[in-house]
Amino acid sequence: MPATPQTALVQDSVPKVDDTLAVGEDLGFQRSWWRFERFIWSLFLVILICDVLGLFGRGWLAKARRATPDNALTLDYEHIERASTPSVMTLTFGPAAIQNPGPNGKIQVFVSNSIVKPLGAQRISPQPSVSAVGGSGITYTFAATHAPAVVQIALEPSFPGIHPFRIQLPKEPPIDAKVFVVP
Amino acid sequence: MALFTILRAVFGYLFLVLIVRIVGRRPGKQLTPFEFLLVFYLGGLTLTGMVGQEVSLTNAVCQILTVALCHYALAWLRYHFDWAAQLLDGSPLVLLHQGSWRSDTLRHMHIQDDDVMDMARGQGVKDLAGIRAAVLESFGEITVLPAEQQKPSDDAAR
Repeated sequence: MPATPQTALVQDSVPKVDDTLAVGEDLGFQRSWWRFERFIWSLFLVILICDVLGLFGRGWLAKARRATPDNALTLDYEHIERASTPSVMTLTFGPAAIQNPGPNGKIQVFVSNSIVKPLGAQRISPQPSVSAVGGSGITYTFAATHAPAVVQIALEPSFPGIHPFRIQLPKEPPIDAKVFVVP
Repeated sequence: MALFTILRAVFGYLFLVLIVRIVGRRPGKQLTPFEFLLVFYLGGLTLTGMVGQEVSLTNAVCQILTVALCHYALAWLRYHFDWAAQLLDGSPLVLLHQGSWRSDTLRHMHIQDDDVMDMARGQGVKDLAGIRAAVLESFGEITVLPAEQQKPSDDAAR
């Protein structure tokens, strides 16, 4: 036996214009939508301006600088970063950071684990002569002659969030900072 | 994390739905070259963010399933709730009726009288006076209803 189709009576439910033209126009809703569109276009513009300024990373507002009191270490980094996007953290060492200045001079710096994992350290330049793990981080030792000495850490954060980190020189107060990684 | 790939797919789909809705309806039966550009460009840019560095087949399949489910959910909402249909599709808009332009509608939708006449010519209407009503449908096409011809019997009766 063939299946019987379900049926319903046709009703004249579509609103008409001037009682003649079944269009279903809703001008009240449409005017609200046009207001919403004006707002959203303004919002898009604001978002783009914020982006250019660096509020979402990779711009002027994203850059940050921290230093120890005696400028033994100056840290340039981006406190707003984008996930899966490369950036560079620059460590500039002053005279107070170099132990035994001269041919046998060296710099030791402690970097917390959060630089390696959530902030995704890809490489460190120049390569440290010694890397020692422990104390929730890595202590790098670099051969250094005279100040200023510069080390760069290439970062590529893997996931969004607020990631605190610490960088410290021996016998110096630590630099504690946070990086906000946007998706 | 797998959850993030799913969330990225949901966000990418809903964001594109919003953008396409905001960019608005343009009259015409076919995509213009500019609209082609928009579709491919938006699609490509969205894909970059959705996929990220995860280029596995599993990731692609799960994201396609996510987008399909989102699409089904919107279609379900659209069918069951009038407000959802209005929000997603908008409402048809009268552009011209009984010899008068709806000027605020034309201005907001960026439609000129030429656009209406283009559609009218396609339906065999020779001039604007031959149009009884023109409606911008929610899917972007302009429907033109020709003015009713006077019946020969009406003329004879006079």
